[in-house]
Amino acid sequence: MAGAGDARGPGPAAGEPPPQQRGACQVFPERPAQGKPPQEGFLSGFFTNDQKCPLMLLKTLETNPYVKLLLDAMKHSGCAVNKDRHFSCEDCNGNVSGGFDASTSQIVLCQNNISNQAHMSRVVTHELIHAFDHCRAHVNWFTNVRHLACSEVRAANLSGDCSLVNEIFRLHFGLKQHHQTCVRDRAILSILAVRNISKEVAQKAVDEVFESCFNDHEPFGRIPHNKTYARYAHRDFQNRDRYYSNI
Amino acid sequence: MADGGCWRPPRPCEAYRAEWELCRSAGHFLHHYYVHGERPACEQWRRDLASCREWEERRSAEAQRSLCESERARVQAARKHALVWAPRQSPPADWHLPLPQEKDE
Repeated sequence: MAGAGDARGPGPAAGEPPPQQRGACQVFPERPAQGKPPQEGFLSGFFTNDQKCPLMLLKTLETNPYVKLLLDAMKHSGCAVNKDRHFSCEDCNGNVSGGFDASTSQIVLCQNNISNQAHMSRVVTHELIHAFDHCRAHVNWFTNVRHLACSEVRAANLSGDCSLVNEIFRLHFGLKQHHQTCVRDRAILSILAVRNISKEVAQKAVDEVFESCFNDHEPFGRIPHNKTYARYAHRDFQNRDRYYSNI
Repeated sequence: MADGGCWRPPRPCEAYRAEWELCRSAGHFLHHYYVHGERPACEQWRRDLASCREWEERRSAEAQRSLCESERARVQAARKHALVWAPRQSPPADWHLPLPQEKDE
């Protein structure tokens, strides 16, 4: 697969872009091809900062409305998520915050780059959207850059990555339709972080799929701008049997 | 659409009220403008709320028809874009399998 070191195995299928605008293809130095368990060190360092990642992850899984909806939707699709099987806190190269490894069906959380609870929630949401796409569709993560682009557009659009507040913190100032600009840009950065392709190729792929994938809001049914929208979306998801049997 | 006595509004009337209130809020105006570059349209939620209440009070057939039509239009609008990928008929076979190194142990 393009972009990953041979000694490291297939590497991430999809990832969060680094805060600075540069990508890194080989982002998970300790993702093993064989032998070394990726969760080694998960419980070690009980009194070190590494313990923050599992604790923040647990809080996100139990309380965040975006994540709770995604977990329900995945369970409904036959991909029930097990925290210990499907998540791994690891140290990563560069500034990438996380990634979804389709070859192992595992979400990697870069504990050295996730700074606080809100960031953890956003990264988990982003990667669960990739996992959800992997669960419900035949996504050719490694061989079709349009498929990767589509999932990255959806993740940037629906995870809160491109909220007005987050963009202001990045010193990207814009209002009218700026959300779409952010989604395009961050999707391209995410693609470049996990694939050894040119920016032009990534941009072309995003352009080709944008119309369709920007408007695919599953499982939310809307763009969740904040937790209120996410709660309403979860309410609608839980109501879906009544909804579809009465229209 | 389910017939006769089995039918009820697709959403509780409270949900239509909540969506209408959210749509009309200043926060939603800002979010919608930020995403779409235009002001949101909230009138349909108000009409749906009215239809829902009318059905609750008088079991109006017109209210039922109006609600079904409105919700079907929402579903159609959400599905109108061609998919980039093929949907699965079943989840990935390896989703629940142990990690490769766990299998070897």
